[in-house]
Amino acid sequence: MRRILNLTNVLFLATLILELFPSKRDGINAWYYIGLVLLLEIFYILNVILKKDEEKTQTIGDVTAIVYGVLIIWEIFTTKTDLADKLLFPSPSSILSLLISELPELLKGTVSSFQLLLTGYILALALAIPLALVIGWRKRLYKAINPLTKVFGPIPPIVYIPYAIAILPTFKAASIFIIFIGAFWPVFINTLNGVFNVDRRIIDSAKALSVSEGSMLFQVILPATLPSIISGATIGLVMSFILLTAAEMIGATSGLGWYVKYFSDFADYPRVIVGIIFIGVVVTGVTFLFDKIERYLLRWRK
Amino acid sequence: MSKICLQNVSLKYQEQNSSFCAIKDISVSINEGEFVSIIGPSGCGKSTLLSLLTGLNFPTDGYILLDGKQIQGTGTERGVVFQHYSLFPWMSARKNLIFGLKQVYKSKGRKEIEEIADKYLDLVGLGDFKNKYPSQLSGGMQQRVAIARAFAMNPGILLMDEPFGAIDAKNRVILQELLLNLWDNGNERKTVILVTHDIDEAILLSDKIIVMSAGPGTIKKQINVEFKRPRDRTSLIRSEEYTNLRNKLVGLFYDDLIEKIGGDEVVL
Ligand SMILES: Nc1ncnc2c1ncn2[C@@H]1O[C@H](COP(=O)(O)OP(=O)(O)OP(=O)(O)O)[C@@H](O)[C@H]1O
Ligand SMILES: [Mg+2]
Repeated sequence: MRRILNLTNVLFLATLILELFPSKRDGINAWYYIGLVLLLEIFYILNVILKKDEEKTQTIGDVTAIVYGVLIIWEIFTTKTDLADKLLFPSPSSILSLLISELPELLKGTVSSFQLLLTGYILALALAIPLALVIGWRKRLYKAINPLTKVFGPIPPIVYIPYAIAILPTFKAASIFIIFIGAFWPVFINTLNGVFNVDRRIIDSAKALSVSEGSMLFQVILPATLPSIISGATIGLVMSFILLTAAEMIGATSGLGWYVKYFSDFADYPRVIVGIIFIGVVVTGVTFLFDKIERYLLRWRK
Repeated sequence: MSKICLQNVSLKYQEQNSSFCAIKDISVSINEGEFVSIIGPSGCGKSTLLSLLTGLNFPTDGYILLDGKQIQGTGTERGVVFQHYSLFPWMSARKNLIFGLKQVYKSKGRKEIEEIADKYLDLVGLGDFKNKYPSQLSGGMQQRVAIARAFAMNPGILLMDEPFGAIDAKNRVILQELLLNLWDNGNERKTVILVTHDIDEAILLSDKIIVMSAGPGTIKKQINVEFKRPRDRTSLIRSEEYTNLRNKLVGLFYDDLIEKIGGDEVVL
């Protein structure tokens, strides 16, 4: 009984019981809200039944409970009492139905955003990592470059946006450039420090095997630096996202950042909220994928 | 001409604004095929001396000749087992061996190299652990992987820094025998320099024992071990010559201790 009537399930029931009360707003299809709640509950129950990992199931239960709580409050203040401003705070159901009908538009925006994001980000990785490996390995170069990174690294890349737009021919080129800069520094600086801090004993061990210069850099220093590179790449990715959306809000005609900015200019706040939620989902997906890659690459670590 | 020759070798480690003399005025000559052990208290410069022979450090005074030429750096003809096991943590045990082997056997095919790696992992008793990462192995197992890597590369000179330190008594005997077999495979003997804290190990294995003392690291005495080979552990340990030699070494090793705690003999 305790296991069935836990907080998650009690809140689940509360979300449904709430629907027995009459609605204060017109034209709301409550089934979107109910459908979402049911989906969440099915997902939760499946996890409980399959229960591979006790602790993980518990966490999923807790997170689901929080989501229910937010939905209940949201539903009360909008649909059920209409205490919140209609224009600024749409109901859960209307947001959900809008999200579904806007999906094609949003996916188109995602493709357009990712073209910019991936180009800039991959370019940054491809340049920053080898460059930092070589510079970090050469003591004299490192000493010459390191002070420069201390000056240029901390400049918030957002300040480059107007200038980049002015000097580069297209908006696309300008935003790729900005994303590149934003991702480059964290990757470069982290890799550089990583190389400098590689355990001397690992280097000695490689030297004792008389490895070639190339092997030393790419088969020894690179994997030894991988933890630092990946933490730099994570920061770089977050920076890229921020800069991407910022750039799109300033000058794009497509993309997720543009979507949010465009509809807020028309005071179409339901679409603004839909855009924000969708960006949240996309970022979560990318971060999840990134975590998987990281875990695979660093599987040798304890 | 001796294989390795050290002439008045000193090494000062450069620190912030001072320098520290780790070893001072060391002269030794080691013949080809000779098995030499180095014993001495912690901090007397044994690892430092080995790093000079490895080619990772260079003497600040004096010189070291290898085959009559000064050592310019590391080389694959010298195999090293470090005191810290020094495996590459992102490679499995097997990959660690393969990586080492690739540096020596540039022309050998992949398959052949893998076979050598597997053979040596079996020899050190790690056949079932070859695909584990160092972080998944115990200290003694990591040490055995490092030993397997050095052995597999089949260098003419083996430089080993307390290679059996973290290994249990039974495996230690197995590995000592393995080392002896490798050292003298019937046709040509390798030159081995072994740092150890174990006096019995030094006597059982070596042709010559170098006893060092600290502050700064110098050679206190060189003792030749004349027992004929192959040496039989059990009968040798019972012999009077063995006990005499052992007492002499213990005395050299611990004479400052004798001064400190009084008495004239240390029983170990
Ligand atoms: N990189 C270094 N920089 C400065 N001093 C060092 C360095 N490496 C070693 N030393 C010093 O040199 C001396 C000899 O060190 P070494 O590691 O050679 O001793 P060891 O005989 O191998 O000792 P142990 O038996 O504990 O391994 C020590 O006093 C140590 O503090
Ligand atoms: Mg040492």
